[in-house]
Amino acid sequence: MAQSETNSAEELMTAYLDHEMDAEESEAFEAMFADSPETQEELSDLRQVLQLVQGLPEVEAPPDFFEKVAKKIRRRKLLDGEIPLFITVSFQVLSVMVVLVIAAVYTMIHLDRDPAAKLEKDPKAAVAEVEGDAEIRGEPGDEALPEGSPAPGAAPPGSSPPSSAD
Amino acid sequence: MSTGGATAKEGDRGSASDEAGGVTIDAKTAQRMEQDRRDKILVRRLKAGDERAFQELVQTYQNRVFGLVFRMIGNRQEAEDLAQDVFLTVYKAIGSYRGEGRFYTWLYRVASNTCKNRIKYLKGRHFNTRVDVDDNTEAQMPSREGGALHSLQSQVPGPEAMIQGQRLQRAIQRELANLDEEHRLLIVLRDIEGLPYADIMRITGLPAGTVKSRLHRARVALKERMKSYLR
Repeated sequence: MAQSETNSAEELMTAYLDHEMDAEESEAFEAMFADSPETQEELSDLRQVLQLVQGLPEVEAPPDFFEKVAKKIRRRKLLDGEIPLFITVSFQVLSVMVVLVIAAVYTMIHLDRDPAAKLEKDPKAAVAEVEGDAEIRGEPGDEALPEGSPAPGAAPPGSSPPSSAD
Repeated sequence: MSTGGATAKEGDRGSASDEAGGVTIDAKTAQRMEQDRRDKILVRRLKAGDERAFQELVQTYQNRVFGLVFRMIGNRQEAEDLAQDVFLTVYKAIGSYRGEGRFYTWLYRVASNTCKNRIKYLKGRHFNTRVDVDDNTEAQMPSREGGALHSLQSQVPGPEAMIQGQRLQRAIQRELANLDEEHRLLIVLRDIEGLPYADIMRITGLPAGTVKSRLHRARVALKERMKSYLR
């Protein structure tokens, strides 16, 4: 019984200090302790302490806090044998990497698929090369061409004809 | 006799019983609801494996979690490590969060349990809790509206106000760190973080009456320790 009364008094004191009472309750509480200087002093001291505690400044986490959390998660995943996700890789870095990989793959595929495209790049050089071979052998250029080879200036199979006489 | 001196702090942490006008309370409620809605979306995305959602959650709550842990532990380095562990736990255990209640009360529960476990561990290793509030720390601590340090200093008149204010601040943090961890937690949640009782009940799992009576005992214990600094 005495314990519950103590608890009740403590609850009232907390509610009073925290403005959790309505005006009527507050007045009743104040009247109850109006002639008790000890309680008044206790309340005054408690208010002072609360004021000090509430005046403590807010603290901020360091700016690289998330990076450190992500690092911890990655380390934990490695320890657990999991493949770490790209949690620490920023979106921008990841985007650039993806674009570079796509570009590299596309270039490789395109070059492998059409080796004749190399000739198309500089048909003059191809003709000069063929003529040079014929001269070395002492034969006229036209006859020196092997069967199935494209005529000088002719378009390679599967490509459009050259636009000029070169 | 004047009215009581404690009020919950501003922002979404204030209770509906604050000495504020109806409009402010409505704005606070709206802000809180908006935050809850955002949290729910982020949690759903995180559960679906969206790492960006986790980043957003960390960035939303890192200061509050760090603040709670720092006030509980009293050491910046230790607090940083522990706050990281809190989010690590959140990342791993988000599947067990069923979405009942507000997300941040669940997060604070994780944080307070992590703190209590670490305090027990450190006690076992006879770790000397070094209060990490030196003269330079103030520069890293942005003060609240009106200046928290200023509010401490303003209680001490004269040119030595700044030194006196810092001395008080160190004393509070030191004495707070010497309190029993249950008492410490209640003072941090209510008087420093300014949480409403309903949320403190969810975080601690204690009924309303117990929260209030324990909070009173915690305040009295702190008052006794701070006696030489009062008046």
